[in-house]
Amino acid sequence: MGQTTTQPLKKSYVLNLVLALMSMMLVLPFIWMVLTSVKHITEVGDASWVPGAAGWQWSNYLDVFQAIPFDLYMWNSVLVASWVTLLVLVTSSMAAYSFTRIDWPGRDKVFFLYLATMMLPGLVTMIPNFQIMIHLRLVDTLTGLVIPAASTAFGTFLLRQFMLSIPRSYDESASMDGASHWSIYCDIILPLARPGLITLGIFTFISNYHSFFWPLVMLRTQEKYTLPIGLLHFETAAGESTHLLMAAVTMSILPAIVVFLLFQKFLIKGIQLGGVKG
Amino acid sequence: MSVSASKKRRALISGLAFLTPNIICVGLFTIFPVFFSIGMAFTNWDLTQHNMFKDVPLRFVGFDNFVELFRNLYFWQYLGNTLFLMIGIPFAMAGSLGAALLLNQNARSILRRGGLLLLATVGLTGACLLLVTLGMAASATVILVVSVAVAVLMTGTVGGSMVYRTLFYMPHFTAGVATFLLWKKMYDPLTGPINQALNPVLSGLEPMVLAAPDRTFSWLAIALVLVIGWLAMSWIGKMRGECADGDLGPAAFVLCVLLLLAPLLFLGFRAMPRYLWFPLSVGAVLITLFHAGRFLWSERMRARGPWEGAGGALLLTGGLLTLSLILFGLSLVSHHLPAMAAEGLDPPRWLVAYHWAKPALMIMAFWGAIGSNNMLLYLAALSNVPQDLMEAADIDGAGAIQKFWYVTWPQLAPTTFFILTMSVIIGLQGGFEMARAMTEGGPAGATTTLSYYIYSEGFETGRLGYASAVAWIMFIMVFSITIVNWKFGSRYVND
Repeated sequence: MGQTTTQPLKKSYVLNLVLALMSMMLVLPFIWMVLTSVKHITEVGDASWVPGAAGWQWSNYLDVFQAIPFDLYMWNSVLVASWVTLLVLVTSSMAAYSFTRIDWPGRDKVFFLYLATMMLPGLVTMIPNFQIMIHLRLVDTLTGLVIPAASTAFGTFLLRQFMLSIPRSYDESASMDGASHWSIYCDIILPLARPGLITLGIFTFISNYHSFFWPLVMLRTQEKYTLPIGLLHFETAAGESTHLLMAAVTMSILPAIVVFLLFQKFLIKGIQLGGVKG
Repeated sequence: MSVSASKKRRALISGLAFLTPNIICVGLFTIFPVFFSIGMAFTNWDLTQHNMFKDVPLRFVGFDNFVELFRNLYFWQYLGNTLFLMIGIPFAMAGSLGAALLLNQNARSILRRGGLLLLATVGLTGACLLLVTLGMAASATVILVVSVAVAVLMTGTVGGSMVYRTLFYMPHFTAGVATFLLWKKMYDPLTGPINQALNPVLSGLEPMVLAAPDRTFSWLAIALVLVIGWLAMSWIGKMRGECADGDLGPAAFVLCVLLLLAPLLFLGFRAMPRYLWFPLSVGAVLITLFHAGRFLWSERMRARGPWEGAGGALLLTGGLLTLSLILFGLSLVSHHLPAMAAEGLDPPRWLVAYHWAKPALMIMAFWGAIGSNNMLLYLAALSNVPQDLMEAADIDGAGAIQKFWYVTWPQLAPTTFFILTMSVIIGLQGGFEMARAMTEGGPAGATTTLSYYIYSEGFETGRLGYASAVAWIMFIMVFSITIVNWKFGSRYVND
């Protein structure tokens, strides 16, 4: 009996140590990033990670706003990601409602078709989509970033999984009372599917916040740049000012970290429910 | 009768009404482009020929784009790059599994009994030693990094595995252009922290290599190759056992042999000194042919379904292949080490060196992949391993490794298979973002993947027809992996 009490404790020390070392290795790049972002320009590239005689230059963060319109990039990114998230939530939840709560003929075949589009490489549709954007005169607009992303098969799939787990008895009694599909959708299903909606919302927001390929193709003028595109051009132009770049990088990943810390629980549940992606 | 018919019609109308917003978007930006893209792949659409200044008529060229593609050496180089980068997948999976196994141990608060103090001391000394041996003796850095390490340890000790999970997941969650640019700066050959840490290590190693007696490293290279041979032999033994038990079908067997032999022989041909490669490859082919013949023509085999047991065998073969490639790489390094040391051991130039750019990207991807969604999937699967199986193994006196190998690993097989196929699908389409942000596909096309190729042909050169053809070749590859997933995934799960 004595063994069973000491064994886990000893194991726990080792385990904690191993886990801490591993997380340390994974976090090291971020530490270097933050430290470099507060170095004086003359000390960038020194072997010492910590700012030296010139002191900690917190003003680098203000200098970023002088060098590039960082606030504008951030605003564009957040604006696009928010719109996409809103639209995806509406289109996916309505489609998922149709696929789980209304028994229309041919429903399952159509759903299968939806699933099939999930395995289509995005690159196949990118080239024609760009031609469509040219014809709709949406190249170099933020609208052109939002519209093609406004519905995803993945979102429909994820919310369908969530809605299948809501017992049908809830809405059947409502439909006995003569409630329309629209009011069942708004008043019963949406509130019950809230965890699913939050999960999908976070996924969509973050992946669009990081989105790179499509904005890179679409955006031409600096005022329209989203953060990833702005950072890319800043890196090319900045040359030796690594400290400013690191300050910009730090500020750009901060929102992602905050969102993650706030919504961790939903995200992890969503990943385990819906497979991969995100 | 009429009531139910009208009810059905009403259901159809409302069902489609709810679907409308989604269908408009999917139709316009997914379904229509798919057919448009198929059409494009068979035309000579080229923005340098068809624009407002120059209007060469657009015409259908049949399979010309595809023929050109297969004859184009760049296509093959870029396909090779894509596949090369995918070698990182098994490592990333092993990393995720390891992390999940550790997190699953449920590191709990051990504040009692002065555990914290002990841990802090051990962590401090360990990290100091590590950093000093790495040559980063610059005292301010050491103190700072060590104090962060201790902070991590302390929060982890208090908060349990939740804290570690968050830290593990952070590289994946923040992955994007921002972190790619961060790594680009870290890989800088002169001012990056990676080479600044490697420099003192390598200059310490140099005299040791030069002082070693002649041929030491050649013998080491040969020994490593022999280990590969031994691994292959035990693999054959295992396959043979499975065939004899009727667990493995002939088609699955052939697939495994191809998977194992083709990359090794090809890489050997490209990179190995002839005195190692030639006897090894001839031996391997002869032995495999002999065994393959015996399996395929034996009575037992013909009674089996051809694809019996493919999933497990493929996983095993993939693991073996990975291990062999590591040994293979080590063997090559030790073969070349004396010559390299004589010229002076310099740290790699990473992103600007042709042979180091891909490994550099793989290391970065590994960093992001350890704590990724795959780790979370493994964690979920681990919590589903039946407790009574574990207890039964305990009663039978199984050790930790045995328990993992005979209880946990088979239980994880469906998850592993799912993660593997998804990673391959993502890997085939991947590599664009990091290449565009870090190397622009260079040096000399070393990091240009298929997705980057499609981007540069479609959006930079403007050869829309050709780019579409490449995209459809990529689709065919992704599609066949998906079929494999469907066919064997479900079978494997049912086992």
